[in-house]
Amino acid sequence: MSLESGATAEAGTPEARTGDGEGVAAGSLSDLDTTGLAYGAVGSAVFLAIWQAAAMAVGRTYLLPSPVEVATAFVVELTAPTTFTVPFVEISIPATRLVANLLQSLLHYLPGLVVGSVLGISLGVAMGWSGRLDDALTPVTRFLRPIPPLAWIVFAIVWIGIGHGGAAFIVGIGAFWINFYNAYAGVEGVSTHLREVAETLGVDDDLTMIRKVILPAATPSIATGVRTSIGQCWMIVVAAELFGAPGVGFQIINAAQNLATDVSVAYMAVISLVFLVSDGAFRRVERRALAWRD
Amino acid sequence: MAGLSDDPAAAGTSPRTTGTSKVVVDGVSKVYESERQRVEALSDVNFSVSEGEFVCLVGPSGCGKTTLFRTIAGLEAPTGGEIRLDGDPVTGPGTDRGMVFQEYGLFPWRTVRGNVAFGLEEQGVDEPERSRRVDEMLGLVGLEDFADAYPKELSGGMKQRVGIARALAVDPEILLADEPFGSVDAQTRDMLHGELLRIWAETGKTVLFVTHDVEEAVKLADRVVVMAADPGRVREVVAVDIDRPRGRTDPEFGEYVDRVRSLIGE
Repeated sequence: MSLESGATAEAGTPEARTGDGEGVAAGSLSDLDTTGLAYGAVGSAVFLAIWQAAAMAVGRTYLLPSPVEVATAFVVELTAPTTFTVPFVEISIPATRLVANLLQSLLHYLPGLVVGSVLGISLGVAMGWSGRLDDALTPVTRFLRPIPPLAWIVFAIVWIGIGHGGAAFIVGIGAFWINFYNAYAGVEGVSTHLREVAETLGVDDDLTMIRKVILPAATPSIATGVRTSIGQCWMIVVAAELFGAPGVGFQIINAAQNLATDVSVAYMAVISLVFLVSDGAFRRVERRALAWRD
Repeated sequence: MAGLSDDPAAAGTSPRTTGTSKVVVDGVSKVYESERQRVEALSDVNFSVSEGEFVCLVGPSGCGKTTLFRTIAGLEAPTGGEIRLDGDPVTGPGTDRGMVFQEYGLFPWRTVRGNVAFGLEEQGVDEPERSRRVDEMLGLVGLEDFADAYPKELSGGMKQRVGIARALAVDPEILLADEPFGSVDAQTRDMLHGELLRIWAETGKTVLFVTHDVEEAVKLADRVVVMAADPGRVREVVAVDIDRPRGRTDPEFGEYVDRVRSLIGE
C-alpha cells in the first residue's frame, strides 16, 4: 500500500511540471502581449521618430533616406511588375521587382545553404566519430577554417564565373564551416555512458550506433549550426552579390550607385524580413522536433 | 572453480535459489598500468551468484566494485581470470546481462516507451510483440501512465524505474545494477527497494547489485559480498538469513549491518 501511495505522490510531480511548462509558455506570451509589446512599440516609435527627424535635418534623400521614403520605395519595389526567368527551363513568369530580386538571391542562397550544410554536417559527424579521420584532417580543417568564405571568390570566378553558381559556392563554404563545427562538437559531446548503455542493449556495429545514438544525441548541436548558417549565409549572399551576382544584395549596391539609397534601404529591410521569417520558422520546427530537450 | 568450493558462505544461499551458478567470477584481477604507476584495481576476486539469487556487492570507495561491475558487463576486460555466465566466458557487452546504472543512462530523445523498446528493436522483435512486451514492462514498474513522457519530465525515481524496465525488457539472464538508487532521495529509495524485491520475486531473475550503502545491501541481499580496497578484493561473503521484508528496527538486521560494517572497517 505504501508503495502505491508513494508511486502516486511521486507521479504527481512530473505531471504538474508538464502542465507548468505549458503555463510558463502561455504566461510569457501574455506578458509579451501586455508590457513587452508596449515597450517594443514605444522603442520602435522612438527609433523611427529620431530617424525621421535626422533625415529631415539632413534634407537629402541620398545621404539619409527617411523611413517614409524607404517605406514608399519598398511599396514601389513590391508592386512594380517585371518578369522572372526560371533558370534551366527558361520560362518567364510575371513577378514584381522585389519578388524577382528575392528569387534571384534564393537561387544561390538555398543551394549553397543546403549543399554546404549537408557536406559540413557529414564531415563533422565523420570526424567527430572517427578519431583516425579526426587526427588526419584536423590540421587541414584548422588551417582552412579561418579563411573568410568571401576570399574564395577568386576561385568562384575562375572556376564557375560570378553568377548563381559562383555565389552559391561562396554561400556553401560559409554554411559548410558553421555546420561542420557544430556537428563535430555535437558528436564529440555524446557521452560515453550513452554509447555503453546502447552496447549493453545490443548495439554492436558502428552504423547502428551512429544512427540510433550519436545522431539523435548530436541533433541539438547540429540544429544550432543549421540555424546559425541560415542567418550567416544572408550576409554572405549580400557580399557575394557585390561582385555582380543578381539578387537583393546587388540591388542594394546598384540602387546606391544611382543615389537611390531609399531603394537600397528597402532591400536591406527585405533581407532582415526574410531572415526573421526563416529564423522564426526554423525555431518553431526546432522546438517541436527537439521537445525532449531539457 | 576455486571461487565456488572455497566459498565459506555457499551453504547460506537462499532457499529459493536452485544452487546452479549463474555467474562465476573466477580469479579476476584488473591492473591499470601507466608509465608512472601501476594500480591494482582488482586482485584475484572469486565468488559466484546462483540462479535466482540476489547478491549485493558492497565495499568502500576504491575497492573496485564499479570496475568489477563493468567487467561483468563486458565493458572492460579483466587482466587476469575470467567471468562466466552460464558457463560461457564473458567477452563483451550483451543483452544476456540487463544493466541498470546510477545515472540512469536513459536516451533523452526517446520517450519512456522508446527507451524500454530500444533493446527489443536491436533484437529484431517486431510489432505488435514489441509493444506488448513494452506494455508488460511498464506495468511491472508501474509507469503505464507515463509511456509517452520524455525522461526530462520524470523524477529520479521514475527514471530509474524506466532503467529497470528497459534492462528487463530484453529478458536478460541476470540483472546487474551499479548503485542504481544512489541519486534518489531516501524516501524514494525505500520505495524502490520494495519495488525491486517485488520485481525480483515476480520475474525470478538473478540480481547482482553494487552499492556502498551497507544497510541497503543487508536489506536486499541473500548474500552480501564484502569487498576491501588496495587492492580490490573479496574480504568475506555474508549470507543474510532474515525473512523479508526486513526492517531497520529488527535487532537481527542491526547485527548484520554491524558485522558488514566491521568487515569494511567503517
